[in-house]
Amino acid sequence: MKAKVASLGKKGGRKARRIVQIVFFIIVAVTATGGALNEKGITIPLLPEASLHSICPFGGVVSIWQFLNVGTMVKKVHESSFVLGGIALVLALLFGPVICGWVCPFGSFQEWLGALGRKLFRRKYNTFVPAKLDKVLRYLRYLVLVWVIYMTAVTGKLIFQDYDPYFTLFNLWTGEVAVTGYIALALVVVLSLFVERPFCKYACPYGAFLGIFNLFRIFGIRRNAPTCISCKACDKACPMNIQVSTAKVVRDHQCISCLECTSESACPVPATVDMLALPGQVKDSFGQKTPKTSQNDLGGAK
Amino acid sequence: MKITYKTLGIVVVAAIVVGIAGAKVAGLWKTEGTKQPVAIREGEFSGMPNPSDIRGSYTWNDVAEAFGFDVGLLLKAFGAADPLLKLNTLETVFEGIELPEGTEIGTDAVKLFVSLLTGLPHVAEETTILPFSAIEILKEEGKASPELIEEAAQRAWIPNGAAATPEAEPTIPAAEVTPPSSTSTVGATSTTTTTTITTISNAIGTTSSTIVHTPSPAKTSGTGGDGTGAVAGTIVGKTTFKDLKTWGLTEDQIKSVTGGEIGHDLAAIRDWATSKGLSFSELKASLQALLDAGK
Repeated sequence: MKAKVASLGKKGGRKARRIVQIVFFIIVAVTATGGALNEKGITIPLLPEASLHSICPFGGVVSIWQFLNVGTMVKKVHESSFVLGGIALVLALLFGPVICGWVCPFGSFQEWLGALGRKLFRRKYNTFVPAKLDKVLRYLRYLVLVWVIYMTAVTGKLIFQDYDPYFTLFNLWTGEVAVTGYIALALVVVLSLFVERPFCKYACPYGAFLGIFNLFRIFGIRRNAPTCISCKACDKACPMNIQVSTAKVVRDHQCISCLECTSESACPVPATVDMLALPGQVKDSFGQKTPKTSQNDLGGAK
Repeated sequence: MKITYKTLGIVVVAAIVVGIAGAKVAGLWKTEGTKQPVAIREGEFSGMPNPSDIRGSYTWNDVAEAFGFDVGLLLKAFGAADPLLKLNTLETVFEGIELPEGTEIGTDAVKLFVSLLTGLPHVAEETTILPFSAIEILKEEGKASPELIEEAAQRAWIPNGAAATPEAEPTIPAAEVTPPSSTSTVGATSTTTTTTITTISNAIGTTSSTIVHTPSPAKTSGTGGDGTGAVAGTIVGKTTFKDLKTWGLTEDQIKSVTGGEIGHDLAAIRDWATSKGLSFSELKASLQALLDAGK
């Protein structure tokens, strides 16, 4: 009976994230539609007139060079992008890339496609890419990030738009999408049936930027080793394939703060994997930093 | 402190809602641009609005207001009707019209038009052309040098489908139109023509020298290859007297229509007729009849 209640509680927790994801997906879809119609000179009452670019926090990141040097923003990017970029930054400092796991509609879109893939391939799902190759590919998004920032600074244009599956998804009908955008979206759709969040893992420049905050975020995922039963449920639940079961603290640059690995969700043992305040630098999932917290608090790493 | 799903969900939503609300209160939440092009930062035109910063999201009104001229000029130049429509709707104006291959009339054409109208510098795309209606306005109101306007005119799209795109030589020799204080370096083979010209800044009210870049002539198919780019044997606004001779008319034949006079070989018939107070359409009809008779 207790187990059943706990299970229901867990579902409720996950549901909270699903609701937030759906709400933001709808907000972005409606805004993008209103913005695109407005661009075509059509205004519909109650529909926002802001463009998709104006509510994209990444616009703040790619505009920063031009803003600091010229005092203007990249074309199509507006002050609102800086505001959202600032909010995302504060949230990332506190909780890591929570925008990716909770807000980003394209991340949600991939997750929903992933649910289909999970049904098709069951346990095989999200395990198709060989670990060695996967590890290397994970750094691709940093190359994309550098390229996007450099090219945007040089050209003063949103250079990534033509390759951005996120932009394509919400502008399919507008005629603003380049062929490369359609190809990128098709690729992500197909890959999402095999790999969870493929774009987030391998190509998203904003995810790469926010991922850096995993290295020094204030609240992070911690595993309490003494109570851990090594069932690896956390590993299996992680959409980003992070090995939570071997870390004291998850500082992997790919964590999206979705809480799927926690005791509130996948972990069957209460108070074993949770998001807690992290007291300074501790051994992370890269295995590079010196432990600083006491054994009583975290327990030894596996 | 343990962060649960519920806590994190509330914090994330609250941060975004409160952040946006705070930004709105502080006047920082702007999802649209100011519709004011950035100012030119250096040189003679420092402080003036930069035509290169005109964006597709601007309306015709926005552009006219930013640069201080009558919006009617823009609407007439581009055949638009509603001053409140955005420039990125320009494609709908030219929808169904087949422009010469490799050319386009879009936001960059508006930038070029504004540049030639105001005398402010702009580097136009190689593929950008103007409709002939814009050239007519520029010839009357344009503050850029006549040679730059003429250069744009030579590439302009003419509504009857003929695009005037010269292969190399300008219709009017640079020496004839360039003010004494300036030099002209028109590169026939380069992709961009750089011309040092004397331009007048109406806002500053001074005569100053600047470098204005305009696109080089693009080769298009279906042109006569006669210097004007017009279809061989068909007289259009930019057809020159030299073209008529190339197409087979003798000087006497031309004089028989023009009343005994004839313009410079490289002069456009329309311009010459206007300067002589003659009706271009009548002259065109008579000359065209001579040409057709000789075919």
